[in-house]
Amino acid sequence: MMFESSQFDSMPGGATGFVSSQTADPSPSSAKSRDNQPMYPVTVKQIIEASTSADDKSNFLIDGISVYNVKLLGMVFDKSARVTDVSFVIDDGTGRISCNRWVNDSQDTQEVEELTDEIYVRVHGHLKSSQGKKQVVVYAIRPVKDYNEIANHFIECAHAHSCNTRLQHNGSASLASTTVTTPNKAHQTISSSQISQEYNLDGLGSIDKMVLDYLQLPSSLAQEKGIHRNEIAQKLKVSQEKIIEAIESLESEGLVYSTIDEFHYKSTAS
Amino acid sequence: MDTSNPAVFVNAELLRMYVGRRVRAVIQVLRNDGGSIVGKSTDEQQLVVKGHPSSPPTTFVEVIGVADTNQSINAEIWTNFGDNFDTASYNTVCQLANGDFKHLFI
Repeated sequence: MMFESSQFDSMPGGATGFVSSQTADPSPSSAKSRDNQPMYPVTVKQIIEASTSADDKSNFLIDGISVYNVKLLGMVFDKSARVTDVSFVIDDGTGRISCNRWVNDSQDTQEVEELTDEIYVRVHGHLKSSQGKKQVVVYAIRPVKDYNEIANHFIECAHAHSCNTRLQHNGSASLASTTVTTPNKAHQTISSSQISQEYNLDGLGSIDKMVLDYLQLPSSLAQEKGIHRNEIAQKLKVSQEKIIEAIESLESEGLVYSTIDEFHYKSTAS
Repeated sequence: MDTSNPAVFVNAELLRMYVGRRVRAVIQVLRNDGGSIVGKSTDEQQLVVKGHPSSPPTTFVEVIGVADTNQSINAEIWTNFGDNFDTASYNTVCQLANGDFKHLFI
């Protein structure tokens, strides 16, 4: 699977059911290593304000990370169908962006025939900049049937944004130091590792988050018996009491569990 | 592309900040007077929506248009959101779009 279908399953806004089926949409096109880049939920305004990196015009920086694939949700305008492709504009209330969908087979044709002005659709595609204009090259279009998806999409955008910006700003000691010591899976970019660490963090304190981050490290997940809480305290330079407190709260959230004894803990995400 | 004309997510409380500007709101229809609809905003206050929906409104409708007064919207686009809608989530988005996450929206 090229996208992690569980990425956003636990959104604070409720209405979770439809999320996984949509992210599971395999996009057969697209070149190079970009296939394994995650889908990033964005508002049109974020795309418009995204900067392209100097070396690679097809890479866009949103929330300080490189974004290629995006999820958008908005209203269709200015649909214009040609033999081989359909162009339209998505207006999500934050701005407007041109979209283009190539039509290759009958399934594609069916997909674009459903498209009419002023209906809400969810669009998956990748960002492209040509002649200074940004556009979305669309892989998939799904008409919105359950309008709760709208609120859910924007909450997802806010959630992804705050996860990424918080990680960068806090530079949480634990994360910064450990990325150096643990060889992050080869080519994995910051973006994908950050996004894949999203879970329901509502109400978690910063120490809780640090402990969880530590237990989520590949090196920690690899330990069959889990990690001793003393080690966590030592590595994070936080007092035993605070660690115990954090573990208790994480355990009650179902994010970690004790293993061989009440001192060793593992993340449930493994 | 055109960003000049965003339509901000609003509830009744936020509407008053945008008089004369484009907004979007979800209304629970209470009464259809023909030419205007009286409804309840996602923060449970009364709003008036002026204009003619293209099809008979369902219980929940989303309207996009210009904030006319601090209690009414001149609707241009109507979308039926059905009879079952989570107004609390939508109201949360209104708050996010005008609060901590404003820069993602407007």
